[in-house]
Amino acid sequence: MEKMINLENLSKSFGETKVIRNISFTIDKGEVLSIIGPSGSGKSTMLRIITQLERADDGTLTVDGDTLFRSVDGKAVYDRENERKIGLKTGLVFQSFNLFPHFSVLRNVMEAQRAVLKRGKDEAEAKAMALLRKMGLEDKARMYPFQLSGGQQQRVSIARALALDPKILFFDEPTSALDPELTREILHVIRALAEEKMTMAVVTHEMHFAKAISDNAIFMDGGVIVEEGTSLFSDPKEERTRRFIASFENE
Amino acid sequence: MASLIMQMLEGTVTSLRIFFLTLLFSLPLGFVVAKGKMTSIRPIRWITDLYIQIMRGTPLILQLIFFYFAPFYIFGTSYDRFTACIVAFVVNYSAYFAEIYRSGLQSIDRGQHEASKVLGFTKPYTFFHIVLPQVIKKIMPSLGNEVITLVKDTALAQTIGVAELFRVAQTASSREFSTIPIFIAGIFYFVMNYIVSRLFAVAERKLDYYR
Repeated sequence: MEKMINLENLSKSFGETKVIRNISFTIDKGEVLSIIGPSGSGKSTMLRIITQLERADDGTLTVDGDTLFRSVDGKAVYDRENERKIGLKTGLVFQSFNLFPHFSVLRNVMEAQRAVLKRGKDEAEAKAMALLRKMGLEDKARMYPFQLSGGQQQRVSIARALALDPKILFFDEPTSALDPELTREILHVIRALAEEKMTMAVVTHEMHFAKAISDNAIFMDGGVIVEEGTSLFSDPKEERTRRFIASFENE
Repeated sequence: MASLIMQMLEGTVTSLRIFFLTLLFSLPLGFVVAKGKMTSIRPIRWITDLYIQIMRGTPLILQLIFFYFAPFYIFGTSYDRFTACIVAFVVNYSAYFAEIYRSGLQSIDRGQHEASKVLGFTKPYTFFHIVLPQVIKKIMPSLGNEVITLVKDTALAQTIGVAELFRVAQTASSREFSTIPIFIAGIFYFVMNYIVSRLFAVAERKLDYYR
């Protein structure tokens, strides 16, 4: 299996606080990885490092064969030439959507295609409309984000990320700002993408969903991977994982 | 009466010149100052902060006098009153606009910058296409306030002898032993500001298509 993500010995501190301690994992092409764990366990920071919103302190990361940073004498050394190239291969969907409020839905999905990939207007629009159709939002193309529900906004932001044809899509708690009904909307979309063999990594608190779509799973706590593998949902080996999983059973 | 109105219209032209020249220079300069105050380079931040403190902490009337007389005491030369007046207004208003811009820039959610970064927009692109349009919408009300204040502040230019509207009115008033020219000037200022506030209302409505 070809590797989409190969992360080795990642470490990251904010000031004195170590948020990620020596984490390694891989994601195969076409695989869906779910990342679970309590708040403050370093899950989001890890996604933000891979999507270049934060800098790694130490470790080695290869994305689709290109190295973003490499550990040299205990420090992550970035390959500047690959930063942009890798940035185009990775997409990120935020918890708070972060749509551009002053752009129509259509323009939100078109803007980066035009400005970054330099696609022509017709091509970008056709692509955007196809994605909006896929998200069931064809009729909302001319509307503005504030006119949409949270679930619809999140679907637009997924379309916006997909418009750049990323090789891997990251989701940072994509449903945490949504009520249960809207959460289902989004989970449905992610599941459909999984069926198309889109490579994805999802930070989520939706255990049943994570269990259903994941090819692999990691449980993080205190900046380390406590347990790995989909068996952690049904048959956790570690006491810490067991307690975390059990806290969802009682819901 | 007709000649009085003509004189006052001439004064109004001078007031409007002060008004537009101040805006022309201080609106963009304010952005530079705001950036200076928000930079992570400390010396620049300190200098910018001191500059803003002085501009906001001392009367504009005093600043006018300073910019008119300082060149003479420092360099032994002076420039004409009108230039001194524009310099003082621009330097003063840039500080106020900078604070308005800063509040606008800081009110933009961090997520907007992060989404732009992840989508691959360059920094200038993010600023001009994502951040700036949203900042302009946010600061419209405070900007309107400041511009209206500027219309009235142009009256201070008379301190260094610039023959703007209010000075013309005052001169006429003492010549004719009548307060009427002053009241007429009041109407002139009111009309100018009425136009300014209508224009800002239109701009705010135009930007009302999103939240």
